[in-house]
Amino acid sequence: MDNGMEGMLDTYLFETNSLLDRLDEMLVADEKIGDFSTDDVNEIFRIMHTIKGSSAMMEFSALAEIAHHIEDMFFYIRDKGIDTLDPQHKKELFNLMFRSEDFLRGQVEKVESGEALDTDIDSFAADINNFLKKITGEAAEEAPAAPGAPAADVPAQAPAAPSAPAAEKLPDDKEASCFLHIFLEEGIGMENLRAYMIINAVQECGIELNYYPEHMESDSSTAASIIEEGFFMAFKSEEDAQKAEGVLRTQNYIRSYELAAVPEPEPEAPAPEPEQPAPASAPQAAPAPKPAAQKPAAPKPAAPNAPVKQSLISVSLMKLDSLQNIVGEIVITESMVTSSPELNQLSRDAYDNFMKSARQLRKLTDDLQDISMSLRMVPISGVFQKMSRIVRDMKQKLNKDVRLTLIGEDTEVDKTIVDSIQDPIMHMVRNAMDHGIEDTAQERISSGKNSQGEIILSATHTSSEVVITIADDGKGMDPAKLLAKARDKGLLVKPESDYSTKEALALVMLPGFSTNQTVTEFSGRGVGMDVVKKNVESVGGVVSLSSEYGKGTTFTMKIPLTMAIVDGMKVTVGSSIFTIPIANIRQSFKILPEEIIRDENDNEMIERMGSFYPIVRLHQFYNIDTEVTDLKDGILLWVETSDRSFCLFVDELVGEQQVVVKPFPAFLNYFELKNSGIAGCTILGDGNISIILDIQSLHSAALENA
Amino acid sequence: MSEQLNNHDDIQDMPEVETEEVSTIDRCLTFESAGLILYISTKHVIEIINNHSITTLPLMPPYIKGIINLRGQILPVVDIQQRMGKGPTQSTGNVCIIVLDIDSVSLGIIVDSVRQVMDIDLKNVRPIPLKHQQKLLNGMVNMDDGSVFMSVDCQALAVPQ
Repeated sequence: MDNGMEGMLDTYLFETNSLLDRLDEMLVADEKIGDFSTDDVNEIFRIMHTIKGSSAMMEFSALAEIAHHIEDMFFYIRDKGIDTLDPQHKKELFNLMFRSEDFLRGQVEKVESGEALDTDIDSFAADINNFLKKITGEAAEEAPAAPGAPAADVPAQAPAAPSAPAAEKLPDDKEASCFLHIFLEEGIGMENLRAYMIINAVQECGIELNYYPEHMESDSSTAASIIEEGFFMAFKSEEDAQKAEGVLRTQNYIRSYELAAVPEPEPEAPAPEPEQPAPASAPQAAPAPKPAAQKPAAPKPAAPNAPVKQSLISVSLMKLDSLQNIVGEIVITESMVTSSPELNQLSRDAYDNFMKSARQLRKLTDDLQDISMSLRMVPISGVFQKMSRIVRDMKQKLNKDVRLTLIGEDTEVDKTIVDSIQDPIMHMVRNAMDHGIEDTAQERISSGKNSQGEIILSATHTSSEVVITIADDGKGMDPAKLLAKARDKGLLVKPESDYSTKEALALVMLPGFSTNQTVTEFSGRGVGMDVVKKNVESVGGVVSLSSEYGKGTTFTMKIPLTMAIVDGMKVTVGSSIFTIPIANIRQSFKILPEEIIRDENDNEMIERMGSFYPIVRLHQFYNIDTEVTDLKDGILLWVETSDRSFCLFVDELVGEQQVVVKPFPAFLNYFELKNSGIAGCTILGDGNISIILDIQSLHSAALENA
Repeated sequence: MSEQLNNHDDIQDMPEVETEEVSTIDRCLTFESAGLILYISTKHVIEIINNHSITTLPLMPPYIKGIINLRGQILPVVDIQQRMGKGPTQSTGNVCIIVLDIDSVSLGIIVDSVRQVMDIDLKNVRPIPLKHQQKLLNGMVNMDDGSVFMSVDCQALAVPQ
């Protein structure tokens, strides 16, 4: 039971969040063109309908209630056609919808964190209703000829009608021989859904039945008639009805029910429609013997609700993580088996056979690895979409006219990386909006720019990394100002005049640096860019920025596509085995003592292809005991990363291997190994652990801060 | 539906009431390190292992001995004697690693030898009279045979310094 509820809650949260994401996407897209398309109106209606239904089922009444009101509103809009709204109303509608979305999200977050939901939703609900009234009122004025003006009310009255002609009050169902007439308790709210849930419960027990009013699950206006007159279940046999009675006893919210047999012969008169035994067929307008034209709304929901067949499933990330781990272990185990020394004892023929199968296995494990990796790749569009929303909100609050251009939304990135770069991107977009773009259009025009600011968010792939840039065409950064600010904050480490433009810009990424004088809602708490930098570096990426004063600023993030598996070169230093990513290695070579160049501090350097590179002795830097201390005995690895290049001195090269990167246990996070050139560790085929080096941070640790 | 929900709530409430009245007896694993007899609640103890090759990590304080590969899991290993500010544990035949899980932080501690599992009544545990001098111990208890056992502060152990 416990697991069941948990699972249901998970599903509910997942579903509702993805629906809200979808809603957000639509709203942002539609607002750009300033209009809702008919499809989108239908879609929003469906989304609200689903949220209402599932929230009511989970008994999150605040969510259900608001979704219900929005659904009503869109029911009307859909019915009347979106074109009946004038532009002013549409604008209001957008704002109202964004507010609603935020409200729903807020509530869902509360559900997630286990807090109590808001109970005071009346004012918000009233806002929605007022808006609905506003548009209904005007629509009625504009088109007074339209029969039965407020469409939302019509179906509510409709089900009441059949009660009059049929003395028995029983719905018209030719196949049924027996009815259950059920009354719900008063004041429970969402009567139509409660009723539908009861019906569902009966159906789950394998009892065939039809129910009236029809479409109660999708037509909230039936709630009124259910309150007043209860609802009906129609059964083919009395036996079924008795079974159903048993089910009803287990259900909540039922005030009373009665069993009624169909009087024979059935009077034909009150039902003008021809007999249609299948009540599921949508056009048959419920028990109402009214002309179908009067309630055109009821049949409609059936069509768009038809489930779209999707060949996608959602999988929990945890499962993918463990799959990835296991695949990694398989790869390692495989190389353990195929390089086992016992194989040498096989006869030549047997060995050949074995190797043939091993190669086959190798190919399969490679494929397996590729597929398991591709499973985790998701398009970055989800993150980008959220930025559209942020830009939209800030545009209004800051009163700046800015357009956001998205490029390369369908670039695919590892899910973990997507999660960890969302906040950094958001921060940078906010910064660009708040500080980057000029405060007034006038300012822009006088500096010869288009009055509308632009932020370009783009993502592209290179062979091994994804590059994300956030560029604005705003004021840009003034290196002199940055330096002055850094001086005030005491962040300078060398004389001001020694700073190059690039170094001055990099000051922005220092902790505690924020150029804005005032703290705003969106940015400027001074925890900005250094947090961005840290987040990006935690997934192995780098952030850089370039800025031209007066022209704009560009932030560039380069992030490895996946961090899970690395092609590495194993090297030994003393008794330790290190793994260096092959992508970082340019060359390995032996040198003669006379090739070494020393500076006044005895720092060693070497000349390669016309440039000089510092030598880092790994055993010295990491304090490892080794017999190989003479440069001529060991081997030099020329490594490079983005803009840094240097040589590492190690004892010996062992060989190349694909390794699965494992993060260090949480206990060791305190020591910030990442800052001392260690990226993670991996388990080798023989069970030993090898430490994976991070060339970028090794350079910073060994050479910059030395 | 909602009835099931309510039932579910009831079910959840029941055992909680019961568990609040647990006795003060705690099952503890006792072991020796630095000439002291220490104990740690068994709810933190996962297993005890011998003979594991430890991979040293560079640039670590001396009490962090390194990491081990425990069936595919990377586990940090702490020399509890060095953590208490004494010299490294001398390797003898009895030295072993106790694998702990302290609020989902996993780590192994190297100890001189493991004694036994026994029940210790938490009511009898007294604070150590010397204030602010213990790095790792947070209580002592007198046993029937006159020996004194010291309690290891798991929270302190789980936070590196």
